[in-house]
Amino acid sequence: MIQETRAMLEFADDPKQIELATYRKNGGYDAFEKALKEMSPDDVTQEVLKSGLRGRGGAGFPTGRKWQFVPKGNDKPKYIAVNADESEPGTCKDRVIMEQDPHQMLEGTLLAAYAVGATTAYIYIRGEFQKSIRIVEDAIDEARAANLIGKNILGTDFSCDIWVHPGAGAYICGEETALLTSLEGNRGYPRIKPPFPAVEGLWRCPTVVNNVETMACVTQILRRGGDWFAGLGCEGSTGTRLFCLSGHLKRPGVYELECSTDFTLRDVIEQIGGGTLSGAPIQGVMPGGSSFPVLRADELDCGFDIESVAKAGSSLGSGAIMVFDDTVNVRDVVLNISEFYSHESCGQCTPCREGSDWVRRMLKKFQTDGPDEGDIATLMDVTDKMDGTTICALAVAIVWPVQSFLKKYPEAFAEKVTA
Amino acid sequence: MSGNESKFSSELVAKVNELWKRYPHKKAALIPAMHLIQAERDGWFSDETVADTAALFGLPDMHVRGVVGFYDMFHSEPVGRHVVRLCKTLSCKLRGADGLIQHVNERYGVKNGETTQDGCFTFKHFECLGHCANAPMMLVDDEKHLDLTADKLDSVLGGLS
Ligand SMILES: Cc1cc2nc3c(=O)[nH]c(=O)nc-3n(C[C@H](O)[C@H](O)[C@H](O)COP(=O)(O)O)c2cc1C
Ligand code: SF4
Ligand code: FES
Repeated sequence: MIQETRAMLEFADDPKQIELATYRKNGGYDAFEKALKEMSPDDVTQEVLKSGLRGRGGAGFPTGRKWQFVPKGNDKPKYIAVNADESEPGTCKDRVIMEQDPHQMLEGTLLAAYAVGATTAYIYIRGEFQKSIRIVEDAIDEARAANLIGKNILGTDFSCDIWVHPGAGAYICGEETALLTSLEGNRGYPRIKPPFPAVEGLWRCPTVVNNVETMACVTQILRRGGDWFAGLGCEGSTGTRLFCLSGHLKRPGVYELECSTDFTLRDVIEQIGGGTLSGAPIQGVMPGGSSFPVLRADELDCGFDIESVAKAGSSLGSGAIMVFDDTVNVRDVVLNISEFYSHESCGQCTPCREGSDWVRRMLKKFQTDGPDEGDIATLMDVTDKMDGTTICALAVAIVWPVQSFLKKYPEAFAEKVTA
Repeated sequence: MSGNESKFSSELVAKVNELWKRYPHKKAALIPAMHLIQAERDGWFSDETVADTAALFGLPDMHVRGVVGFYDMFHSEPVGRHVVRLCKTLSCKLRGADGLIQHVNERYGVKNGETTQDGCFTFKHFECLGHCANAPMMLVDDEKHLDLTADKLDSVLGGLS
């Protein structure tokens, strides 16, 4: 049986863990204190590099390498922006850290700030997460009062402030450059990359954008060692990860698991998720949020790690495993997904703004009337033209799931042949 | 540029002054401040509130209007005393969100974006609210209600006034 490995969630069930005294009693901020007093900033980055940590926001970029892109020297202020926008459908894990162990995120943020020389960090929390906002703000206040945040932290010459910055309801602000535009006080429009935020971010200064869970992992790595982290999981997917199991499962929930090539995605769905609630057969799975291709029930025997799921044609993305059984019509499922992205397109790029709405209307017609002859080819053609022609990846987050549904469930999208 | 500060309560202006200290540029405090402003101005941005906000920040009205329009949590029309946001995205849909939406339509006579006749609540379909493992779910103002059923929904809405 697959078991949870609780590192990030070790103390999450204790309601007192959100308080500084309890967090410290459980070893909290020891790693930060040690880093400040005994390690150079570069030592911290080296430990993270050694761990093999890849970002938990969805793209899986190596965290230590991202930090190394920050230019050295002190001519411009440097910033950290923690991505707590958590809006990818199916994803509900960053909130667990913020509501149940907020200092763990703050400690990782301080370690990141120390490593890259940042003096201010903003935690960009989606505006709907009022409970997270309150808890994180209280945690910051307590840490500030204990001189863990602010000027000359613990008597050293390192200073760093941390502030919560609430969003206001826009999925696109989870995209890192949109997050920065939004934080500066604007509509959340993504920016063309390069320059990447690590070089030119907030107010054109170097800015590291990392996901909440990534920051929690940094805390674990500095507490227990990069070698310890690298020894968990498997090559390319080291450490533990929070997975969000949702949909037609018997035991939906947020679970901390190690990736492995020794068991499969299907094993996780069955052993951790408990299989389907109704007992009906699985029809499909979105293994990493709704932005990636769907996997059919016969494609779930891949290993449970980033590389294996990529080989199976999808992605572990943000760790959001959404399962649907065969009682639902896949035409409804893909329509729901397209409604999400067409609502959330920021509208800057024509292929995304017009294309997403056109795709949604086409899928609406498929749902009620079924496709006419030639519709599927047109839809494929239109979505092909949205791929790679836009500022950010939201456009492909429509293309991939939509094309995959059409290809993988041809019987559900059989065209009406005109006589 | 901020001669209109008195149009907001002194508590609000004091809070915005605190927010400004957090950023190298005042504009960055706009969205956090707009949450406070919306709450003080009956939950929505009238033309007057847009103008007052713009004056406080020394920004063009159009900038503030654009921000109101972009973010789902800001309202450009009056809302009821409570805002009910029901998630309609995939994980919630798979666990019965459509049925709940229909239930609200029938029992309370409101569709997406509408306010009940007594002005008690405005009903909004929302995209994924980050509680997918406890689907379906809704937010009533700032409070979340998880693993929702029609009965639970009725008892929450029934308690509103
Ligand atoms: C449309 C879109 C939405 C995104 N939403 C989120 C999000 O809600 N949370 C998040 O952490 N990353 C999100 N990302 C990924 C971020 O752009 C970025 O890669 C990530 O925050 C980097 O952090 P990491 O390296 O720690 O993973 C999104 C990306 C795209 C293209
Ligand atoms: S791809 Fe879509 S969401 Fe991204 S910048 Fe262009 S219009 Fe906006
Ligand atoms: S799909 Fe409803 S909370 Fe995520």
